[in-house]
Parts: sequence; structure tokens; C-alpha cells
Amino acid sequence: MTSVADTLRFEPTALPQSLATLRAEVRAFLQEALIDVPVVKRSHSWEAYDAEFSAKLGAQGWLGMTLPKAYGGHGRSALERYVVVEECLVAGAPTAFHWVADRQSGPLIVRYGNEAQKKTIVPAITAGRACFAIGMSEPNSGSDLASLRTRAERTATGWKVNGTKIWTSNAHRANYMIALFRTDPDLNKKHAGLSQFLIDLSQAKGITPRTIQNLAGGRNFNEVAFVDAELPADALLGTEGQGWRQVTEELAFERSGPERYLSCFFLLRKLIDVVKPHATPATLARIGSQVAWAATLRTMSLSIAAKLNAGQDPALEASVVKDLGCQFEQALPGLAQELCELEPTLAGYGSEYQQVLGSLIQIAPSFSLRGGTPEIMRGIIAKGLGVR
Amino acid sequence: MNETQIMLEDTVNRLFGDRLGWDALTAIEEQGFPTALWAETVEQGINKLLADEQAGGMGVGWADAYPVLRACGRHAVPLPVVEAIIAQWLARQAGTTLPAGVPGLLPQTIAAAKVSITGVKLVNTRTPWGRNADYLVGVAALDSGAELIIASPAGLEIAAEDNIGRDPRDTLNGTASVIARHGLPLSSDCVHWLGALVRSAQIAGAGAAALDLALKYGAERSQFGKPLSGFQAIQHYLADLAGVVASVDAITMAACVGLDNRGMAATGRNARFEIAAAKCRASEAVEKLTRLSHQVHGAIGFTYEYGLHFLTRRLWAWRAEFGGAGEWGEYLGRIAVEVGGDGIWPTITA
Repeated sequence: MTSVADTLRFEPTALPQSLATLRAEVRAFLQEALIDVPVVKRSHSWEAYDAEFSAKLGAQGWLGMTLPKAYGGHGRSALERYVVVEECLVAGAPTAFHWVADRQSGPLIVRYGNEAQKKTIVPAITAGRACFAIGMSEPNSGSDLASLRTRAERTATGWKVNGTKIWTSNAHRANYMIALFRTDPDLNKKHAGLSQFLIDLSQAKGITPRTIQNLAGGRNFNEVAFVDAELPADALLGTEGQGWRQVTEELAFERSGPERYLSCFFLLRKLIDVVKPHATPATLARIGSQVAWAATLRTMSLSIAAKLNAGQDPALEASVVKDLGCQFEQALPGLAQELCELEPTLAGYGSEYQQVLGSLIQIAPSFSLRGGTPEIMRGIIAKGLGVR
Repeated sequence: MNETQIMLEDTVNRLFGDRLGWDALTAIEEQGFPTALWAETVEQGINKLLADEQAGGMGVGWADAYPVLRACGRHAVPLPVVEAIIAQWLARQAGTTLPAGVPGLLPQTIAAAKVSITGVKLVNTRTPWGRNADYLVGVAALDSGAELIIASPAGLEIAAEDNIGRDPRDTLNGTASVIARHGLPLSSDCVHWLGALVRSAQIAGAGAAALDLALKYGAERSQFGKPLSGFQAIQHYLADLAGVVASVDAITMAACVGLDNRGMAATGRNARFEIAAAKCRASEAVEKLTRLSHQVHGAIGFTYEYGLHFLTRRLWAWRAEFGGAGEWGEYLGRIAVEVGGDGIWPTITA
């Protein structure tokens, strides 16, 4: 007599006292480091690119925290890293330079890279001096990622790659890319024909990124053309034909973090201050409801971090939190306008609130696109419930 | 869950799972209080889960009790089990024991002016299972602090009324004679907070059970030549439901753990924050839980014969009981503007 809810449980996680000390240190550091960064830049934290800041964070020992000491990591727990990440997000630290490297590329290289890669690249990630791009989506393969066509063929010396990746954040300025290519030309093999590659972008020839401007004017993502791009033999990451499984593991890191509900938190902070002078009970109730959601999502997100820390695979739980978190953060600009109907403005015009609103309202549509859409998340959850 | 929690949840699921099928729930709605089932509940010690061990209780905390509270929602238990659990915990805090029998938990704080040495004056006090109560338990706000009051319902004017879950919510008027009074080291509004907590847990349980029914029905019922749950629109409803259930479950569990570890004093950052968040989230969740579980069921879910309504009618009632989303949202909203935009994150993480 079990309930399906028993399979989807988010046990509360008690953070050890030592993490309170770490949290206080991180807060103090960020307050100092971000003192001159304009609020509008801080409002979309993990999209803001600042190599210098990332190096500073690395110098504090707060990047590559969970990676093994043998390769220059810090051998700390996933919960310690979680505290650093959530504090950075809420403070609006510009984390785009190191974001992908710290979140998923580092762990992936430690697991699947060769000794040379681990010895050179992991210390760079830990120092905040390696920026990574993720080559997954293609012009004709978005949500249906496994249909991708970019082809890597074996040559006498390594690999030759032809095809196109798209929505590749920071490809024009990253040091490395981890990409998913088709190594078996038989399209019927779908998942089984895919492999992951670790590409040193400073060495590679035949790889041309073209920046795509987003609707807000930002220039983060790219279309990346591979034309007879030659890669060395050891660019293959992990096992040939195991790319899909490896990417699924990678996506668990990508989908489970606190960034899946905190992207708009800066707007909530500003909104609270804006409504304060003439808040009616009804307005307070709407604000409080968002606070309740934030507290709930944090409990859930933290529970996932604890599961990762214990070596479990919370892929289903991560999809739930991404779906709920997306609903929460995507609704915030609309709620803000409902409670305080001021015109959203471009950076430099209007109040701080208006600028943050203007920035996030334009970026919010991407929340339900990056890292997997709600439609895909709900498909994964439905599968977990046994109905797909 | 730890071993105690698994054992307790199994016990309660077995008892109520066996005894509270749709026929039984129907019979109880027709015939009234299920005396035999109450006796079994008492025999298994479920009502005394939070009572002191020396008082014959199990002496566990709220975190261990949570699976039981949730199971009471899951099985639409038509008995004052969660109310009894609150009453027993209050008695433990007051260092006393309660009489045998069915408790009538007074949900509102009793004003000092209504309390005398011998009697408590009740004015339109809506009380769960008031008509069945062998004794009343309430908390009074006296100048000297909170007091636990145990009183007799004998001679009170009792207007029988059910909530839309068809559980008794009776209006009491008159003066109840005092059986005992004890100082209580809690704030005098504690019943309201504890009530919000247990209703949140019941909402989590009833929501999970509604999802279970929707999953079962979606797999059994075919249209256009395939099971309902083969349709993407239905799959997304089910996934949406699962996420909402999990969210209520998570924050309510956190509130129970918080209550054990940090208490619920009237000031300071303690479990009040999580309890308010839990009831706000739970009350809001009721709309989606009921709408989508009914939608998956189609017309059959709108019949009395099919028992989804035992859950959904209670969900609608519990949404408002002990404060709805508006009240608890306002409470949290006041904290938000008090600490300001820069203070809200430190408050959440404190």
C-alpha cells in the first residue's frame, strides 16, 4: 500500500554549523567584492561574465570545491559548494565565466578525463581561470537532443568534426568546450552513436563561433560552426558511444542547482523594498506567498544537494525542482508589475527597481528554455511516475 | 525517513487503510462518529504519539509524528486524531496528562476575560468534533502567561455543523466547567500555529492520495483507443500534481523538524517561519490539487460513488482552517518588509 508520493520525497537537510561560518565568510567577501557593481548587472548573476571576479573567487578556494585534492580541487562537500553557489546567486555575483566549469565540466573531467587533462585543466577550473562552453543543442536538435547530427570521424591522428552547435553560451570567449557529437553515422542508433569531446578552443582549427544577440541585447550565446575541425585523439571524453549516458549525468548537475529558482531573486528583493511604504494586507500576502515558495524551493533544492552529496542520483527530484523553480522565477516579473506597475526600463534609466525589472522581464523567457523546457521536465516526471 | 517514522507510518496506513475504504467513509458520513475505530486508534496509541512516555505516550517529536499526520490526510480519517495529537503534546508541555476519551480541541485562544477559577465562557467557538467530545482542551491568554485549560462540555449548547469535508465542526456556547488548569510554557496562540501545521500535513497526505487515484484511473480508463495517461496533456497534469504534492510535503516536513529543533516562540527566527510557509503553500496548493485530480477523472470523479471527493472536499475545507494562504502570506509578507529586500535571504537561510 504505497503512495506514489513516497518515491518523490524531499527530506529536510540540516546544514552543519561549520557551514554557517562558511556562509558568513562568503557573504562578507561578496559584499566587499560587489560594492561597485551596478545593481542591474547584479540582477542576472549567472549570465554576467567577469573573469577577474571568477579568479578572485577561485583564490578564496570557492571554485572546484568538491573536486579531489589530487588534481588541485578542494575535496570539500557538495553542501559546502551549495552554500557558496546560493550566496553568489542571491548577491548577484557575476559568475558566468566560471559557471559551467565549476558546475558540470570539472566533475565530468574528473570522472572521465585522462590524467593529463585532469592535471592541467582541473587546477585551472579551481583557480577560476578556465571558462567552459557546452556544445549540446544544434539548429535542428533542441529538446530532441538525441537527434543531433554533428559528426566526429576518426582520422589517422585523431578526429575530424563537421556540423553546427547552437545556443552555446560563451563559445566566443571560452577556453574549452565539452561537446556531444555523433561518432557512429548510423542515425538509427540515435543515443548509442553519441560521444562526448573535450575541446581546447585555443588549439582547435576549423571552429568558428558567431555570436547571436539575444532579445535584450546581450551577447552571450553563439552558433558554432565546425568545418573539418581537427581534434587530437585524446579529445574523446570518456567512452565512445557512451555520450548520452555521460550527458544525462552532466544534466543532473545542470538541473539540480539553486540557480533553477534564484535567477529572479534580485527582483523579489527590490520588489519588497518598493512595496514597503504603502503595502496593503493583500499586497503583503502576495509577497509572503513568494517568500513561502522561495523557502519551499530552497528546502527541496537543498535536499537534492544532500542526495548528491550522499552519492545518490536525484535526477527525478531535480526535474521536479527545475519545473517548480521555473514557474516561481518566471512568474516574478508579472507579479512585480501587478504590485508595482512602473515601466520596466533599460539600464541607466528609471529607478533601480525599474532597471532590474526591465532586465529580468526580458531575460525571463529563457528560464523555461535553458537546461530543458518544462514540457521535457514534465515528461521526465511522468516517466518517474510510471505513466510514460 | 528514520525507522521510527517508517514504523509509525506503516502502523497508521495499515489501520486506516483497512478500515477506511469508500464504503466505510460513506457509512461514517451517514451514521456519525465511528466509535469502534476511535477505540482502535486509542488502543494503538496513535492519539498519544506526542504524549510523554510516563503518561502512556510514545514521547516522540513532530518530525517523527509527521508521517502519521500526513497519513491522516491520505486516508481522509474522519476522527479527531490530529487534534488529539496536538492536545497530548500541549499536555506534555504543561507537565500534565489528559483524561481518557475524545478530546474537543478549542482552536481559538481563550481571552483572559472569559476564564474564571471554575469556568470558561465559550462564545460561538467552532470546535472539531465538539458533539463527540468527552472533554475540552484549550489555551488561554492570561496576564501571567499561557495556560492549558481542560474543561467539561457538559451543559454547553452545542450546534452541530459539518465542514464541507463532512467532519464535525460544532459551535459551542455557554460556560464549560474547568477540570484542570496548568501553566503552559508556550505562547498563547500556539493552537492556531499547531493547527496550521497539522492541516498542512493533512493536505500533503490527501493531495498524494488524490494523485494516486488519478494515476490509477488514468491507467485504467481508455479513450480514443489508449489509456488516458498515454496522452501528453494528462501526463503533464499528473507531473504537475506530483510537483505540487512534493512541495507541500517538503516544506511541512521542514516545519516539523524546525518545531522540534527551534520551537515556536512568539519572537525570533524559529519554526514559525516554516509553519507559516507550509500553510501558505499548502492552502495555495489545494486549488491545483483538486482541480487537476478531478480533471483527470472526468465525470466519474464528480459522483458520490467514486471516492475522490472524500479527499477533495476535505482539501477545500482544510485550505481555510487555521488560516488560509492570505493570512499566512500576510504574516510572511510583514516579515519581508520588516527585514527589507536585503534581509529576506538571511531570514530564509537563518
